Amino acid sequence: MKNISLFTDNGTCLTKVHPFTKIAHIAAAVSIPLIVGRLWLFGCFIGVSLCLLAWGKVLKRTFPLIAFSFTILITIFLIHGLFNQNNANVLFRLGPLKFYREGLLYALRIGLNILNMLLSFAVLVLTTRPSELVDELEKRGFSPRFGYIISSVFQIIPQMMGTMNTIMDAQRSRGLETEGSLRTRAKAFLPLISPVVMSSLINTRERAIALEVRGFGAGIKKTWLKDRPRHKGDREATILCLLLILAAVVWRVGTWL
Amino acid sequence: MKDLFKTKFDAACIVLIPACIGINYLGKLFASVLKLPLWLDSIGTCIGGCLGGPVIGAVCGAANNLIYGFTAGDNITLIYALTSLGIGAAAGIMARLGFMKTFPKAIITACAAGLTAVVISTPLNVIFWGGTTGNVWGDAVFAATQAAGMPVFLGSLLDEIVVDVPDKLITLILVYFILKGLPKKLTALYEADAEIERLN
Repeated sequence: MKNISLFTDNGTCLTKVHPFTKIAHIAAAVSIPLIVGRLWLFGCFIGVSLCLLAWGKVLKRTFPLIAFSFTILITIFLIHGLFNQNNANVLFRLGPLKFYREGLLYALRIGLNILNMLLSFAVLVLTTRPSELVDELEKRGFSPRFGYIISSVFQIIPQMMGTMNTIMDAQRSRGLETEGSLRTRAKAFLPLISPVVMSSLINTRERAIALEVRGFGAGIKKTWLKDRPRHKGDREATILCLLLILAAVVWRVGTWL
Repeated sequence: MKDLFKTKFDAACIVLIPACIGINYLGKLFASVLKLPLWLDSIGTCIGGCLGGPVIGAVCGAANNLIYGFTAGDNITLIYALTSLGIGAAAGIMARLGFMKTFPKAIITACAAGLTAVVISTPLNVIFWGGTTGNVWGDAVFAATQAAGMPVFLGSLLDEIVVDVPDKLITLILVYFILKGLPKKLTALYEADAEIERLN
């Protein structure tokens, strides 16, 4: 069964860093360049994220993530380079197409912002076990009901994928066409999805009963199965990230005054 | 009317949310397996809204995008958590008002959900993507409006309408038929105005 989480335990230091430290890094990496508004800062944070990913030995697995959004980035460059409202100076020509400086600069800003977000999130996503993130959130007073929602999504989806493959095979063996023209493919959608949806909704009833029987609704403080050893430098890194955000805000307010 | 936002946070509703998130995921997966030019990633959110009410729908939508954003690396969806929240709430409110009972009414619900999605997504598209949506048809419309010299915001709005309204229309038609087919012993768990009768 395929897991939707991208985490794999490769034993590097980055997997042992506290999830909140990584979230602080995301907050700093996303907000500081936007607050300060300089292009080179995007570059800085992209560099930092890349270094972290290399340190966690997950750089190679980052590329599929980037490739996924690459087509969108290209569309943005094309549309804004060719048709942006503020276009005035032609930068270069490709045959009959004229690319303008203003539009490309605008697209560059958007592209760097997206790349920066992607990479900083990749640091968290590729090196954190989802259940660990949920545990830590619950320890800080996050509702255990929502904690359950998050962790059960990771159990339900592989299950549903299994059901989906079964149903896909079953319907195909009954002669359902799943390839061909758009019409055929659109017609295949309903007979494929409705059995999975129905069965998973019907399963919720049994799941609810099973949970109630095990005391899910009990209003007693729960305990945790695992204790998390403190990693050296977590607190320092978190404080550093928050100080950097604060410095960026102070700088921005300073330029306004 | 007082029941419009009434929500039970019992085990049945809590279990509904992950199931709906799974359904969203499957919808998106099927759409990509069959190479359909739609997203179809809010089927679960709409089911959640129709069964559990607007609050559950909104929670489904927001949790869906947040979970995928933080764990599956699809962090572009993170900013669209607001859109999903709106879709779930809109579908839930319309269902509670009785707009899921017949087929023509379900279409009105679809339009409401689609327009909610358009209104919330357009500013997000303009801020994060400079107006594009990442859907081929929508972006072709956007490019055409930009070439014709229309403002970015209007272009992006048209882009969204072309993509989101048909998407939600199909989604809610599917949801309508799925809900019709659910057994009563399941839907009875989620009825807001249900009363418990005592025999003693």
